[in-house]
Amino acid sequence: MTKEIRESDVAFIEALAELLRRNDLSEIEVQRDYGKDDCLNVRVARQMAPAPAPVAVAVPATPAPAAQPVAVGTPSAAESDPALLPGAVTSPMVGTVYLQPEPGTPAFVKVGDQVKEGQTLLIIEAMKTMNQISSPRAGTVKRILVEDGSPAEYGAPLMIVE
Amino acid sequence: MPDWSSGTERLILESVDSTMAEAARRAVAGAAGPLWIMAREQVAARGRRGRVWENPVGNFAATLLMRPPESPVQAGLRSFTAALALYDALAGLSGRADLLTLKWPNDVLLAGGKVAGILLESAGQGGAMSHLAIGFGVNLAAAPPPEALEAGAFAPVSVLEATGVRVAPEVLLDALAAAFDGWEQRLAAYGFAPVRRAWLARAARLGETITARMARETLTGIFETVDETGALVLSTRDGRRVIPAADVFF
Repeated sequence: MTKEIRESDVAFIEALAELLRRNDLSEIEVQRDYGKDDCLNVRVARQMAPAPAPVAVAVPATPAPAAQPVAVGTPSAAESDPALLPGAVTSPMVGTVYLQPEPGTPAFVKVGDQVKEGQTLLIIEAMKTMNQISSPRAGTVKRILVEDGSPAEYGAPLMIVE
Repeated sequence: MPDWSSGTERLILESVDSTMAEAARRAVAGAAGPLWIMAREQVAARGRRGRVWENPVGNFAATLLMRPPESPVQAGLRSFTAALALYDALAGLSGRADLLTLKWPNDVLLAGGKVAGILLESAGQGGAMSHLAIGFGVNLAAAPPPEALEAGAFAPVSVLEATGVRVAPEVLLDALAAAFDGWEQRLAAYGFAPVRRAWLARAARLGETITARMARETLTGIFETVDETGALVLSTRDGRRVIPAADVFF
C-alpha cells in the first residue's frame, strides 16, 4: 500500500529483533492480520553461538496476499538493526514523532549535540498526549533515525546516543 | 464535591503565563501531586503543538499535575478519563447531558461545537513516567472569536451561550476534580475497559464516516471503535486502520 505501512512494518520487525535480543531468545515468529489483503508474517531468528547473529526475516507482504519467506543474512545484526546498537534510544509506545517542541522552533537536538541524562530528545504523541522522551544517558547524539511527523512503533529505535 | 483534604492539592492563581508551564516548573521542583493549578488569567495560554489558546476572563483554565506509577504507554489513557470527567462535570452543572458528546480522543463537544480543549504532557525516561500534566481549558463564559480559528476547526461555543447556565471557574474545578478522581479510581481498579465503554457510550459519530488527519496522511472511513489501547479504529476502503495519533473531523 504505502511507504508509511512499510516503514511501520520495518519498525515492527526491528522491535521484534530487540525483544529477541533482550530476552535472549533464538527465534520469534509472528503472524498479524489486519483484514483483507493485509497480513504480515515475520520470523526473526538469530544464532545463539558466538558468531555474528544473522537476522532472518520473512519479508512483510503488504499488500501482497501471502508472504514469501526470504532469508536475509547479514554479517552483523547491529549493522542492519539500529535497535541493537548499545546507544539506541527506543520508543516506549506507538505514536507520532515530533523532533521540535512546536512547529517552527528548532529541534530538541541535532546530530553531534552533547546531551545530558534526562534531556528531552523528542516527543511522541499518542492519544493527544505529548510524551517527552528523554535521554537515558549523557553523551553525543550520533544518529537520528526518525523524521518529524513519522510514525513510531513500540520498541523502534529513535536515536543513537553514545 | 471533592475532598480537598484527602491528599489532592489545589492552587488558585490570579494570573500565570500558562497553567501547563506552571505545572512543568512545579514538577521539576519536586511537587508530589496530585495538584490542581487553576488560573483566573493566562497570559500565554497554549494548545496542542504550540497552537494559541484563547482564554477570555471568566473561562476555565487549570492543569492537573500527577505522578502516575505506570509506564508512558498508559499516559494516553488519561485522555479518556479527562474527557469523561469534563463531560460529567459539565453535564452535572449545566443539566444538559443531551447536548454533550465526545470526539476522539479527548474533545468535549457541546451542541456540536468545541467547548473545551484538553492537553496532556508527560515526561519520562526508560519506560517510566516521571510526571503527567493534564491541562483543561473550558469556554464557560465566552467562546473565542471565529477569526482565531484554524481552517476546518470546530466552531467554538461557550457553556453560557449554549445552555444559558453561568458556571464559575471555581465551581467547575470542584466538580471536575471530583469527577476525574472517580474515573481515575475506576481506571486503577478495573483497567481501561470500563473507561473505554463509558467513552464509547458518549462518542459522537460512532459507526459513521469521519476523517482522521495525521502528520503525513489523511484517512476517511467508518468510525468503528476505540481499541483496548485507546487507538482510533477506522474501517477504510483499504482495510482497517488503527490510529494512535490524529486530528478527527466530521
